[in-house]
Amino acid sequence: MSYPTPATSVKLVLLGEAAVGKSSLVLRFVSNDFQENKEPTIGAAFLTQKCTIGERTIKYEIWDTAGQERFASLAPMYYRNAQAAIVVYDITKPASFIKARHWVKELHEQAAKDITIALVGNKYDLVQDDDEGQGEREGVRKVSVEEGQNLAAEEGLLFYETSAKTSYNVNDVFIGIGNKIPEAASLASSPEQNNNEGRIDLSTNASSNGNRNLCSC
Amino acid sequence: MGKKKQEMAQVYNGTSNEFIFGEQGGKGKNLSSFLKNLSLTGSSTLSHSSSARDSVEETNSQIYGSLGYANSTSSLNSSGNLFNPKRPTNTQRTVSVGSGLPHTSTGLGSGFPERMTPVSGGSGGKISPYSSHKQSQPRRSRSMSRYTDLDDDWDADLQEVSSPKKELTKLDTEESSRTSLNAQTSPMLDSLYPDLMLPSGNGVSAASKPPKESLDFEDMQTKMEINKLNLLNSKYAKFRKVLTSDNNINLQDLRKLAWNGIPNELRAVSWLLLLGYLPTNKSRQSSTLKRKRQEYLEGLDSVTIEFHDDPPDNESTTSLSNANRDKMLYHQIKIDVKRTNPTLKLYSYTATQMSLRKILYLWAVRHPASGYVQGINDLCTPFYQIFLNNYIWQLQRKQQLLQRQHKSNNSSTGSLPEDDDMDLYIPGYLASEEEDDPEELKLLQDPQLPQYTLDNFDTSWLSPRITAIIEADTYWCLSRLLENITDNYIHEQPGIIRQVNELRNLISKIDHELIKHFDSEGVEFIQFSFRWMNCLLMRELPIQLIIRMWDTYLSETPLGFNTFHTYVCAAFLIKFSGDLKAKDFQEILLFLQNPPTSRWKEKDVELMLSEAFIWQSLYKNASAHLR
Repeated sequence: MSYPTPATSVKLVLLGEAAVGKSSLVLRFVSNDFQENKEPTIGAAFLTQKCTIGERTIKYEIWDTAGQERFASLAPMYYRNAQAAIVVYDITKPASFIKARHWVKELHEQAAKDITIALVGNKYDLVQDDDEGQGEREGVRKVSVEEGQNLAAEEGLLFYETSAKTSYNVNDVFIGIGNKIPEAASLASSPEQNNNEGRIDLSTNASSNGNRNLCSC
Repeated sequence: MGKKKQEMAQVYNGTSNEFIFGEQGGKGKNLSSFLKNLSLTGSSTLSHSSSARDSVEETNSQIYGSLGYANSTSSLNSSGNLFNPKRPTNTQRTVSVGSGLPHTSTGLGSGFPERMTPVSGGSGGKISPYSSHKQSQPRRSRSMSRYTDLDDDWDADLQEVSSPKKELTKLDTEESSRTSLNAQTSPMLDSLYPDLMLPSGNGVSAASKPPKESLDFEDMQTKMEINKLNLLNSKYAKFRKVLTSDNNINLQDLRKLAWNGIPNELRAVSWLLLLGYLPTNKSRQSSTLKRKRQEYLEGLDSVTIEFHDDPPDNESTTSLSNANRDKMLYHQIKIDVKRTNPTLKLYSYTATQMSLRKILYLWAVRHPASGYVQGINDLCTPFYQIFLNNYIWQLQRKQQLLQRQHKSNNSSTGSLPEDDDMDLYIPGYLASEEEDDPEELKLLQDPQLPQYTLDNFDTSWLSPRITAIIEADTYWCLSRLLENITDNYIHEQPGIIRQVNELRNLISKIDHELIKHFDSEGVEFIQFSFRWMNCLLMRELPIQLIIRMWDTYLSETPLGFNTFHTYVCAAFLIKFSGDLKAKDFQEILLFLQNPPTSRWKEKDVELMLSEAFIWQSLYKNASAHLR
């Protein structure tokens, strides 16, 4: 790969009902790891990861918010300045899809106008047939692919079904968002980037357990 | 209580006589004025010296000798009660250590993390005031160039002491700095508290006297070890006395003792008392507990949900009927219990999880204003743990008794010998003769029983009888705790927002440089300290240390889970001040999300609690004019 252009910082926020797998998605993306019983997130967690997409290097600054209703009043603080959002639901829990719909609505009303939103139906591993086939186990899935696609189409969102457990499609979400982030937006954020270049480099070196070239493609 | 604190605050707020150090040092104005205030108390020692002679004090000194700062102070002598800041006499000593800090570091910011470095040896017994002093010289002289030490005598003493045995031990700078601090404090204590010297004469008063030839370092080490064990014993004895001496337990006395940590065996009963769940009047204890435990069971009966392991997941109906809401609540609790303390074996057992689910669910439906909020699942675990631990302890004691009885039966006929510590048991844990508890009998016959701890005890061995009791006690204690912080969990969590703001305010007074750094990096307090408040630092510290912290929280009045906790958070943050000032936005957040506390020991937490106490005394009622 040729010299990568200086990393573009993208502020990204994760939203969605409790226990749909927000933190697990991020953990998979940042550390390529999975923990079966991850402690519930309180408030919000902050993580970073770099991602090289073609010519561009994008550095995601991720705010992984707590899903429980009681913490919802904190969310605006985190999505206010976000350039991208991932709204997550659990494809085996219809209530979480309803919640996802609410988050999309709120983002369109309250967040930045040009925010890039990805809708993600997580826990694909639960519906997958055991013998690696294409088929799905009957009755486990409660939200159809079409429902997800329709919502995404209506609202102009990216759409993926993922499994943080098997890592299925996880990196694609972040690559997809990177591709959709308008060049203009990344250019606009460049000056700020230059100002803070020193401090950002420092932190990338400091966080050791992340798989940095995870999604170079 | 309040009065003591006031006294202490007065001590801090005096306005003259800076006898320990001058103006030059200190990083921030707030810091230097803070330290200046602290140094004042050195002068007030005289007025209190007589009270140091009372016997309570002496026992305290034995109890606390091995704690906290005592790393440096236990070699000093029993004046380890340095850190019982509840008493005026201790106040001075707390303060004298505080005021000693600038000698060893350039300010609180850099000083605290440095002092947090774990010290090899732990007991502190290995540090000799003689041997280490030589090493402390360079450091000391460096700090001397920054601060004017106005007390010439100290130096004279130290020179004299340092000459022999300089080759004895190799100490790192950290330790030497402690020891130099130590050596500086001791002359004052020596002259004012001659009665505080331990009879064992473990070389502690040496800093101010010519060294005795007969003492060699190893000898001293052994004596220190013995001394440490004695201290633990006497701590237990002290609690035992308070808990058994009278038909009415003196809560004030218990509070004073508990502030500095409760022995494991007596923690559960002490917590019950401190929370006001167990009556202090012994004749009422059994009946009250019985009634409350019954109430808990009736509560569970009244609940509509069924607590079986895997309720059918017919979530497809999304109507907000009450039944459905209850189901969703239970579902939420269920998945959270599964991921509560996931690294501890105890919480992976179905029996444990079932208990926690019931406790949390009942609490949530009984408190609709807040309902179940994530984090509350963490808060009930210390209670569950200590009650289970107490049951195991009681079983072990009973097994010993039975074995003794068995032996005596072989020689002569005798009835079950009385357990001397019967009074220290929480009533109702062991099955009475009328109660049928085959699981308990099985445990009592288990030859492995003496080896069981929370790490290897499987909660499925518990009988339904004791399971319900542990659940009930946990439930009521959790309720008591949450009563004090209800506004942390209601809509928009105003209690937490307030505490986060208070924390910021406090830091701006204590460590202005840190605030400036956070501001310039765009770090907001809510980003990292929300969780500190919502989970009472339970995600930041190992649970054993949290339990130790709660000893102190529970002995604060009002309970320390609210205001005092904010001061503890301030002390916690400032521990890392030096590190944080060198970090940028991302590094700060990543660091604070995963602070390096996995190797912390009790003494680290005790130091933090002491610092929190000092700051509370300084700032609590003075916020208006300091703002």
